[in-house]
Amino acid sequence: MTTARTAPAPRARPASTTRRSRARRRWQNAGLYVAMVVVVALFAFPLLWVFSLSLRTPQEVVATPPPLLPSELRWENYGHVLATSDIGRYLLNSLIVVAGSVAGCLAVCVPAGYGLSRLRFRGSGVFSRLVLACQLISPVVLIVPVYRLFVSVGLINNYFGMILVYVAVTAPFLTWFLRNYLDSIPAQLDEAAMVDGATRWRALLTVVVPAAAPGIASAAIVVAVLSWSQFVVPFVLVDDSNLYPVSVGVVNLQQTTGEVTLQYVAAGSILAVAPVIVVFVVLQRYIVGALTAGSIKG
Amino acid sequence: MTAPTTVPGTSRPWLWMLPLGAVLLVVFGYPLVEIVRLSFTDATLVADEPYSYTAQTYRSIAAGQDFVSTLHVTFVFVIFSVIFQLLLGFAIALLVDTAKRRGLRGALVTRTVVLAAWAIPGVVIGVIWSLLYQESASGILNHLGGLLGLGSDHAFLSDPNTALISVIVANVWRGTALSMILMYAGLQTVPRDLLEAARIDGAGAFQSFRTVVLPVLLPMITINLVTITVETFNTFDMVMALTGGGPGTSTQVLALGIYDQMFVQLGLGRGAAMSVVLLLINLVMIGIYFRHTSRREARV
Repeated sequence: MTTARTAPAPRARPASTTRRSRARRRWQNAGLYVAMVVVVALFAFPLLWVFSLSLRTPQEVVATPPPLLPSELRWENYGHVLATSDIGRYLLNSLIVVAGSVAGCLAVCVPAGYGLSRLRFRGSGVFSRLVLACQLISPVVLIVPVYRLFVSVGLINNYFGMILVYVAVTAPFLTWFLRNYLDSIPAQLDEAAMVDGATRWRALLTVVVPAAAPGIASAAIVVAVLSWSQFVVPFVLVDDSNLYPVSVGVVNLQQTTGEVTLQYVAAGSILAVAPVIVVFVVLQRYIVGALTAGSIKG
Repeated sequence: MTAPTTVPGTSRPWLWMLPLGAVLLVVFGYPLVEIVRLSFTDATLVADEPYSYTAQTYRSIAAGQDFVSTLHVTFVFVIFSVIFQLLLGFAIALLVDTAKRRGLRGALVTRTVVLAAWAIPGVVIGVIWSLLYQESASGILNHLGGLLGLGSDHAFLSDPNTALISVIVANVWRGTALSMILMYAGLQTVPRDLLEAARIDGAGAFQSFRTVVLPVLLPMITINLVTITVETFNTFDMVMALTGGGPGTSTQVLALGIYDQMFVQLGLGRGAAMSVVLLLINLVMIGIYFRHTSRREARV
């Protein structure tokens, strides 16, 4: 029973720790380091490899065996992709649609999340569950009726049409996150403002939202990342390549390039993920908080 | 004289739900009704073509070999993806959590690197893995396979026997991120004093894991299972970019099958019927999720 393995170790041992258990602990730590190196290698490798492909000459891309590193860093591959494909345009489209979606999602979800957190009314439980259920429904199921609807009202090939669907797809997460998060902001705060004569709406905007800003910002980042990743929605709702977001653009790029130009596909992929990876690495603390807060309370 | 008897907004709570409700009605409510309706028709995607109501669609997709094979592919894809995402996610979460508690450097880096896959769009993951799976000897996985004596001539994606395995591996790489972070969040809720008490009572690491950690973690494991199962059932983008469902239909998961039926074969009615099947799967998962979260709320 006393043979401890490397599983969850309790906090620091009492002062009576023997030398032997200290040695054992050192070995366990070494094992943990090795495991972490292996995990990092496995998970970082695909992206690093594609990055290295993106800097190669055409000969190096098809060379056997593949050289582990490019002989020279051909940054001009990126210039070539930007110049010969519309990926710059696609990136811009993604930026527009993501910005619109985050704004739209906040506009729709802040009142709803606030209402579900503060107001007691008949049907609020059912409503919040219906919202949650939406999160588990595949966009593939919805997209054709949406497509037919949008054809009839002229929202095909339209930023607004895309944003509307993006907002709906990401709203369940944001609403639930805000409902739970606003529960942690004392209700006395908005009540005090209302006693001073503010309407509830005004209290929300001037008191609650500023107090909840860190949480709202974290969740907005998650919404941005989710929106950047959307694929089925624009793939079906947009056939004008001038409006493609980068997710659709990358597939286009992949399908129109051959074996000897893989370095350009690689460069295009890196361009498509660079913005989210940068955002992710810089803001990951907030992202982790928002992702897990939403699920802990279910 | 005094403040108004009703505070604006409180008297009409539904007004606060209105924008969200309207958006969800347009993008979820109406399309769901419409997809069920269309599933009982012989409609095609060709606009304005007349169609009639029929129950034949379900019978015809059930009889069709392609749909049965699509379901088979989907379940293999989901079961193996979910098993490995859960185990790997749990193992890495334990690793990061333990390393962090011991103050080892690199815990945060490990978490960040693993979670990064969550932020990468599915299509780009498909493209990335298609580059790794390059089938000539210049492909990196083939090269590494050669170095390890596993052969360097694998047709990872164009051999129908291995294509699905290749897709599953890529999907495990992708989905472990979310699984890991959910398990990691769960581990943060394990009461430290309980663990300490178990240790003082002489419980070994495995025993205290089984009797203290696992029970606390169980609700989170369920939530995690439902989440990654739904994500995997709904996978479209990654497979689309990786194999397009091929070769043949060997990697055609349900979401891709629906797309193919509707937009390639233009069979709107049949595609709608297949959508309803996916919807039913989604609804079952929603049911499990609700049953579990409601029990938890009741307990808290």
